[in-house]
Amino acid sequence: MTKLDSFESIFKSADKPVYIYDPVEFARVLIVTDLSEAEAAPFIAQVRTFLSVLGNTVAWHHLGGEDFATVGRLLEQTASAAPDLIVTYRHLRSNAWKWPHGLGEYLDVLTQATHIPVLVLPHPDADRALPHAVVNTDCVMAITDHLTADARLVDYALRLTEPSGTCWLTHIESQHQFDHFLAAVEKIPEIETNDVRELVEAQLLKEPRDYIESCRRAIEAHGLHAKVEAIVAMGDRIEEYRRLIEDHLVDLLVLNTMDGDQLAMHGQAYPLAVELREIPLLML
Amino acid sequence: MMGGISAGVSGGHDEVSLGITLFFAALLIAMIMCLAFEEKLHAKKSVIVGVFAMVSLLLGGLFGLLPFAAMDLHVGDADIHLPIYIPAIDWGVVSIILGSSLFVDVTAKSGLFTWIALRLTKASKGDPLILLIAYGWMTVFFSAVLNNVTAMIIVGSLTGVSLNRLGKTDKLLGFLLVEAFLTNVGGLLTLISSVPNIIVGNAAGISFMKFFVTAGPYVVVATAVSIGMGAKLFGIRRLAGGNEQVEAARLVAGFDENDGIDSPFLFWFGGISLVAFIAVIASASIPDTLLNELGMGYVAISFGILALVQHKATADRFYREIDWDLLAFFAALFIVINVMEHAQVLHLLGRFLTPILDLGETVGPSVLLVASAVASSVTDNIPLSAMLAKILSGLDLTADSPYWWAVIFGANLGGNITPIGSASTLVAVTIIHKSGIALSFVGFVKLALPYAAAQLALAVAYLLIAV
Repeated sequence: MTKLDSFESIFKSADKPVYIYDPVEFARVLIVTDLSEAEAAPFIAQVRTFLSVLGNTVAWHHLGGEDFATVGRLLEQTASAAPDLIVTYRHLRSNAWKWPHGLGEYLDVLTQATHIPVLVLPHPDADRALPHAVVNTDCVMAITDHLTADARLVDYALRLTEPSGTCWLTHIESQHQFDHFLAAVEKIPEIETNDVRELVEAQLLKEPRDYIESCRRAIEAHGLHAKVEAIVAMGDRIEEYRRLIEDHLVDLLVLNTMDGDQLAMHGQAYPLAVELREIPLLML
Repeated sequence: MMGGISAGVSGGHDEVSLGITLFFAALLIAMIMCLAFEEKLHAKKSVIVGVFAMVSLLLGGLFGLLPFAAMDLHVGDADIHLPIYIPAIDWGVVSIILGSSLFVDVTAKSGLFTWIALRLTKASKGDPLILLIAYGWMTVFFSAVLNNVTAMIIVGSLTGVSLNRLGKTDKLLGFLLVEAFLTNVGGLLTLISSVPNIIVGNAAGISFMKFFVTAGPYVVVATAVSIGMGAKLFGIRRLAGGNEQVEAARLVAGFDENDGIDSPFLFWFGGISLVAFIAVIASASIPDTLLNELGMGYVAISFGILALVQHKATADRFYREIDWDLLAFFAALFIVINVMEHAQVLHLLGRFLTPILDLGETVGPSVLLVASAVASSVTDNIPLSAMLAKILSGLDLTADSPYWWAVIFGANLGGNITPIGSASTLVAVTIIHKSGIALSFVGFVKLALPYAAAQLALAVAYLLIAV
């Protein structure tokens, strides 16, 4: 390694993204179901209780099964309603909820076609929700991924955490991908494998830790009441998040799903969104 | 120091035929040409000069130029035979460079220099003009206490990262060039700031403090002028105000100056030992003291070892980072120069200097300064300063003579005329090319000439007025 490269690395490492708190306001919430108004009433009531953290000034709207018959019509309706948040459930207008694969075609398109955050709840009929889920939001977990809009992710997670609740800022680095990368390094004689293993792993975990630390400072500076906890580790993302959800009775998972480079959902988000179907997910 | 034992070696070979002298002069010119085309040859300096050193020694022996008999020394009851090439090397200079580079490398690992650099970046609040001024003075400071190449690497790499952060990469060329020119100005500040200073300063017997007091005012003025020219010629201005200033300050606020500090103890140890190093090496030039007897090389190596104690388990990593090419280059260069001395080549070159010396104490040093600058712009300034120091040593000049300073100023500032003029300008060009900016040899010279001309004009004026 040349000295030039060494100092460039030092300065690049010192150049850290800083979290700047930007409060999120919810004035209009649109609840989308495939039910009639009467059938949807219990669901709407449950959602309003679940999101009581939003306060009493929110205008609630409902888009029922008779309001849209196609994906295109759903997109038109949500665009014209222009809500700050869309709340719906998995496998909207689909019987595929019986099989735990995918989100359903309506949600697959909706989460990518709109920039409005979509809160996805477990399907009401599937009976898969954990006992503590869809009750309150005293434990919200954000998954930072350092690709895009992390500040927005944290802003939403903080906004949806009840004042006395806990906001978890987490980052699980894929052990599988790391092992795959190391397997290639192990076959290159010019590279010291142990150095790469130790240094790359340390750097991969340092970046989210630094960002979370920056979040913590900003949160303290703004005097927010939510308790902030951090988890940064290597592991299997799905397994780790499933374990964390159960261990900490997480009520809501907040994650980025938009990928500016492609039309499909962000690579890390899709398997998480499909697999973690026991609790609500806020998809940004 | 250059004299040392080798003074005994250069004894009785005054009768050398002109043909042999010219033959060895041609060998010397060939070596200088090879060094000038080092990049084309794809060969390290140490290998080029090493080959010439071995060939010179062999030919010097064959022609009977080398005083092998003088190498049999009687010290007390012991008979010692030294190989001819051992006393030819100026070990004082080698030990200063070895010790100080080891010390600097270890101290740099403490995060001290990157901390200073990032604190200054944040203090500038991202304003391009303030950033240029801060980086300019920082370059001079780092060049003075580290070395030109390390200074350029630290400031140049930070410049790339910070301008990228600020979205001002269009100013990168201007920043890097001004910094490159200032490495050679900063290299003039102390006796140990650059290799020509060490070689010429040692040969002249200039003390550390005397060097600093003499060169300091010039460095301050030349730095201010160079930064001012850089701002004007590259259009580096202050931000308009309002949102632009707020946004720039926000962008540089993300730099974490503590990121590179692994241990607060090592950080403070690095800072304190750096101050102590400068103080002790300065006091080593006080006559009739133990440190003066032991020499600056002893001080440098002692501080290098002291710094290594903090990394005793991983000292081998620092040994690997030592610039062995540079040290081997020096050793071989001193051998070549020693052989050239026996072959009367330096005497011959000294005769070429006679017309310059005959110009008097005013014009003579000025012409020597400019000639040294032009020569060092196209070839390595180390052999140039080593040869000129050797030639001037034979003229019985006092330490106050302006001729020494003419060589010091010329050899350092000449590096600013071309991209191959100094190692630090070469580093700057490497960073420029790495950043995707096209800059040819001629393009560099066109941009560099106004700065080099201004710095040389200031140096000549300073030489005439103040030295």
